[in-house]
Parts: sequence; C-alpha cells; structure tokens
Amino acid sequence: MIIKRTKSHIAEIFCNVLCVFVITVVSVNAQKLNDDFFSPKSRLSFGNYLFLEKDYLRASNEYKEFLKTDNNDTVRFKLSESFLRIGRYEEAANNFKSLFFSTSLTDEARLGLFKSLFFEKNFVRFRQYRLEENYTTEKFSHDIDRLNYISYFFDSEPLPDSSRLFSAFADLNRADIKKFYYMKKNPDTKNPVTAALLSAAIPGLGKIYTGEIGDGITSLITTGLLVFLSANNFRHDHNFRGWLFAGFAALAYGGNIYGSAASAQIYNAGVKFNFDNEVKLFFEKHNYFLPEFDFVNR
Amino acid sequence: MKKFFLIIFFSAIVSSAQTDWVKWNAVQVSYEMKNNNELEQSVGFWASLQSAYKFLISDHDGDNCPFYPSCSQFYVEAVNNSGFVKGTLMFADRFTRDLNFFKGWKHYPVHCKTGKFFDPPYNYNLNPRSIQFLSAENSSE
Repeated sequence: MIIKRTKSHIAEIFCNVLCVFVITVVSVNAQKLNDDFFSPKSRLSFGNYLFLEKDYLRASNEYKEFLKTDNNDTVRFKLSESFLRIGRYEEAANNFKSLFFSTSLTDEARLGLFKSLFFEKNFVRFRQYRLEENYTTEKFSHDIDRLNYISYFFDSEPLPDSSRLFSAFADLNRADIKKFYYMKKNPDTKNPVTAALLSAAIPGLGKIYTGEIGDGITSLITTGLLVFLSANNFRHDHNFRGWLFAGFAALAYGGNIYGSAASAQIYNAGVKFNFDNEVKLFFEKHNYFLPEFDFVNR
Repeated sequence: MKKFFLIIFFSAIVSSAQTDWVKWNAVQVSYEMKNNNELEQSVGFWASLQSAYKFLISDHDGDNCPFYPSCSQFYVEAVNNSGFVKGTLMFADRFTRDLNFFKGWKHYPVHCKTGKFFDPPYNYNLNPRSIQFLSAENSSE
C-alpha cells in the first residue's frame, strides 16, 4: 500500500516537472519566434509578399521599418513604387529622387519620378523637368518622351506636332493613337451660339441640332400652340387670355433658346467625358507603354 | 476570511454599479423635426408663392415629375443660384423637357435614391465648368 502511494506520488511529481518543462520550452521558443517575426529580414519578406499581393499600403509600412535599420536601393525603389501605386505621388517622387545619385537604380528612379508627376497630373512640372539635365536619363528618354506625348491627351494644352507624336509609338498602336489625336484636335462638339440662333429662328431646331430631337419637336409644338392660342384669343377680343398665352409663348420661346445653348454645352461635356474615358482605358490597358521591371515583382 | 472577501466583492459591485448608473444617465433627446427646406425658412413674396404652390397644388397633385429634383424644386434652386430671370428661363426649358411628348429621357442618369432621372440645375447655368456630366450607362449620383 505504501509502495503504491509512493509510486503514484513519484508519478505526480514527474508529471508536474514535465508540465513545467514543456511550458518553459514553449515559452522560450515563442519568445524566440516573436523576435524573428519583427527582424528586418522578416519585415522585408513580408513586405515583398504584400507587394506581390498588391497590398501596397501595408507593404510600404514594412519597407519603411526595414529601411530604418538597413539601406537597400531595391527596397527604397519598391517603397517609392508602393507610394506611386496607392496615389501618394509626392512621397513617391521624393523617394525616387533619393535614388538619383550613387545607386545602380538611378535611371529607373528618374523614370519613376516622371511617372509620379504624370499620374499626379502635374504636367507643367513634368514638362519642365524633362528639359532639365538633372532629371533626365538617356536609358529611358524614349519612354519619358512618349509619356510626355500621352500627357497631352489628358490636359487642355494644344497638341504637339502629329508626326513626332505618332513616331513615339509602335506601328501596332499608331492607328489608335491617330484616332485619339484627331478626336482631340477636332472634337465633335456643338456650338452653343449656333444652337441658340437655330432655336431663335425656329423653336426647337437648336435642340434637334444638339441631338435632343424629342425635346426639339416638343418645343416647336408647345411654342406654336401657345402662339396660336394667343393670336386666336386676340382675334376674338379676349385680350386678357391673349396676353396670358402670349406671355407663356414668350417664356417657352426664350426658355427654348436658353435651353438649346445649355444643351450644346452639356453635349460638349459628354463628348469630353467619353473621350477622356476612352483614352484612359486605352492607355491603362497598355500600362501607358511603360517598361516593367522584373526586380520589382520578386 | 470569507466575510472579508464578501465585503470586498460587494463593495466592488456596488462601486461599479454606481459608475454604471452615472454612465447611463438619462440623455435629453429633442424630437423636434428640423426644417431643412430653405424655401420655407425664407420669408416674403417668393416664399409665400412657393408655400402656396406646395399647399394648394403639389401636395394634392402628388409626386409625378419624372426628374430629380422635381420641376418646382428645380425652379427654386435655379432662382436661388442664378437669379430670377435666368432661373425662370431655366425652368421654362426644364418644363418643356418634362413635357417631352416622346418620353425621351433615357439619356439622363438615374438618381439612385429616388429612381428618377437626375437633372440638376447647375448643369444649365451656361457655365461649362459647373457641368458635372454623368453618363446614363453608369449613373452614380
């Protein structure tokens, strides 16, 4: 009996010691894992993973933490690229600038700066930097020139010479570029003054000119009917009703002239909206004809 | 010993309960409906005319206008933003478009909250910069 109790007592002690040992080992390892988790190497690996998953905001945070302890041009480039892709153009441009000198990625960084300015739609600075030697790069001069030509499709500046613009693109895409060029140069817009004058001549004609055929015919019928009612009432000596309908007719006539000019402006806004959308989709599909860097997607 | 723990336990509960009581103090809520209609807040001939229209015609006629904002609201906004003469011309044009015998409203974007055709007055004040074009295919307003 005593031997049995002693045996169970020993077993209990053994179990307790084993438990303490296991807990200690697990805790120590957990602590060790925790340390590794936030090491620069882990942060870089995690940042690269997030970058490939297109989670650029969190990737940029990991890269920033990594760059606190280590200096690496590729990581700084990827940090700039992350900022660029999440629309933080100012930060992207500053980080690209920091790679301009004494690095192997100087040409890529210069192109990156121009990309930042382009996507920020800061075309004035883009064209200004393009003329300064400090910012240009021989290696990507053709890409920067092409990006400059593309920028003219997105702002209100006059288009550059067509032959130089077309020559910046490959034969395969030249037909599309030509189409956009001529759409931009000679947009299919309507003149608000012409629309107003047409409606002044014949009520509703200005609306028909801007494509609002139903509105135009309705205006013609309404104004005609009100003029008829006014004239008819005057003819039968119903002067009050005559003046009343004359007032309504004048209102419909004036409103139609005004509305035709407004309709032409809305039509033009629609033309611009559709053109901008079409151009944007085309260039986005072709990634703005920019080169891809393999080292970024590793 | 047990008594000691019980006293501590109850004191903690009582003090927490007191804290909770303070935290959940009754809040004074006002159920007064705010009038966001600028029209009714203003006074004078214009406001009287609008109130009369609303009371005598609009409330009885119902919500029939295919557009958002409705023609009357369009007129009010147009006059407030562009003046009486321009606003009246804008309204005359809108009224003809509303009257469209062919129901040719398909090119207007659809207002998602009301399901009506979206046609705001700021698109008609002859200022190209104020035009916010919305395609009928991808209405987002």
